[in-house]
Amino acid sequence: MSTVLPRKSLGSVFARSFLVQGSWNYHTMLGSGFAFAILPVLRVLSGGDRKRLDASVRRHLEHFNAHPYLVDLALGATIRLEADGEDEETVHRFKAAVRGPLGSVGDSLVWGSWLPAVSLVSLASVWMGASPAVAALIFLVLYNLGHLFLRIWGFRTGLREGRSVARYLGMSGLGAWTERLRFLAAGLLGLAVGAILAGEGGLADAGPVWGILSVVAFVCGLLVGHRVWRPTAVALVSAVALLATWGFVV
Amino acid sequence: MDFAHILLVSFAGGILALDATSAGQFMVSRPLVAGVLTGSLLGDPAQGLLVGALLELYLLVSFPVGGARFPEGPTATVVAVASSLATPAAGAVPIAMAVGLVWGQIGGWTITGLRRLNGHLVPEPAEAGAGPRRVVTAHLGALSLDFLRGALVTVSGVLVGGYIVRATVEAWPISASDSIGLILVGGAVSLGILLRSLGGFKRRKAVFAVGMALGLAVVRFL
Repeated sequence: MSTVLPRKSLGSVFARSFLVQGSWNYHTMLGSGFAFAILPVLRVLSGGDRKRLDASVRRHLEHFNAHPYLVDLALGATIRLEADGEDEETVHRFKAAVRGPLGSVGDSLVWGSWLPAVSLVSLASVWMGASPAVAALIFLVLYNLGHLFLRIWGFRTGLREGRSVARYLGMSGLGAWTERLRFLAAGLLGLAVGAILAGEGGLADAGPVWGILSVVAFVCGLLVGHRVWRPTAVALVSAVALLATWGFVV
Repeated sequence: MDFAHILLVSFAGGILALDATSAGQFMVSRPLVAGVLTGSLLGDPAQGLLVGALLELYLLVSFPVGGARFPEGPTATVVAVASSLATPAAGAVPIAMAVGLVWGQIGGWTITGLRRLNGHLVPEPAEAGAGPRRVVTAHLGALSLDFLRGALVTVSGVLVGGYIVRATVEAWPISASDSIGLILVGGAVSLGILLRSLGGFKRRKAVFAVGMALGLAVVRFL
């Protein structure tokens, strides 16, 4: 028997989902954030029974992790299960089953594809001469269109599908969207590289030596991957420190 | 920089640090946007954009993934932009960038520390007193601590960075364009890493080449 939940409580859960990572910790990860976010609905479902509310809050404090934007999918589905009166074990098993996929799908879709793609558009615009406000707005508007769409879609889908959300996630084509976005991002990476090469204040202005060194550095990053990032940052800081010291002494 | 501006950028550092992971994640905290905001607060959005865009190049491959340890972009950016505005000179940008990268690393360590502390703040599922009030208090407390952490990391970085820039910038031995060239060489490494993570050169060479030709054409002809 499904309980009809007030829109205000659902809206409150959705708003709280923006703070879900607020108490992220190495023990329960998003567990306490999940309990904090779902609380308005738990209050309604407990019907004023304090002991029942305390018990349901404690259940949701358990270890949980997901991509912060796709956590809305888990919240929506969990609300549906709770409203349908599913037993504790079913809710627990559901959350344990979706936390892995919601983390990996979200990481590759958002952090690995969408964020770099939009950042590259904005970076390209900088070397194409965009003003500070325009470059920042290009990023914020484009990025948050995808961000908010994903959150709203996730919450509504979760509420509608309940425990079927795991199957729905597999059929939604998010994997295919990730691949398309990665293809697009590679093109946008080329766009940004072209703009940095020829744009005002870019490598053309810096001179051919810096251009050649940049090509070597690019190939180095391409061949070695993430392992070379930290040594690069250390090398830049060391080079700046050496130059500053040299200028100071000489 | 006067006391009011230091207070203002510290507050901005706290808010932007919250946006990076704990609250919202609207990505106002990405270096490019945070740079423009900090520059605007200090009266020079163009310098904010320059420093923010250069830091964005470095941090393109650094994402706020779950428990990953990463340099903290927003505090690095606020510190770098504010330090670069300490004295207008050719060396201000590279020196401020270097300070920003170091401070980003320090910021990353403080995030790790706060997450450990959060583990003690939040109630255990089996804890008898773990009711709604305890959950809300712990959660909002952790958010407040993250704001405070971001603001403190920022204010210390702005003070140290400003001092280092003022002390060393006059003796900076290379020109402004060479300074930008040096930074772009490091940024090129991140772009290479990104192409690798987007599928690699072999799989993406055609679309990468089309994009690059378009980029060159837009800059050349528009």
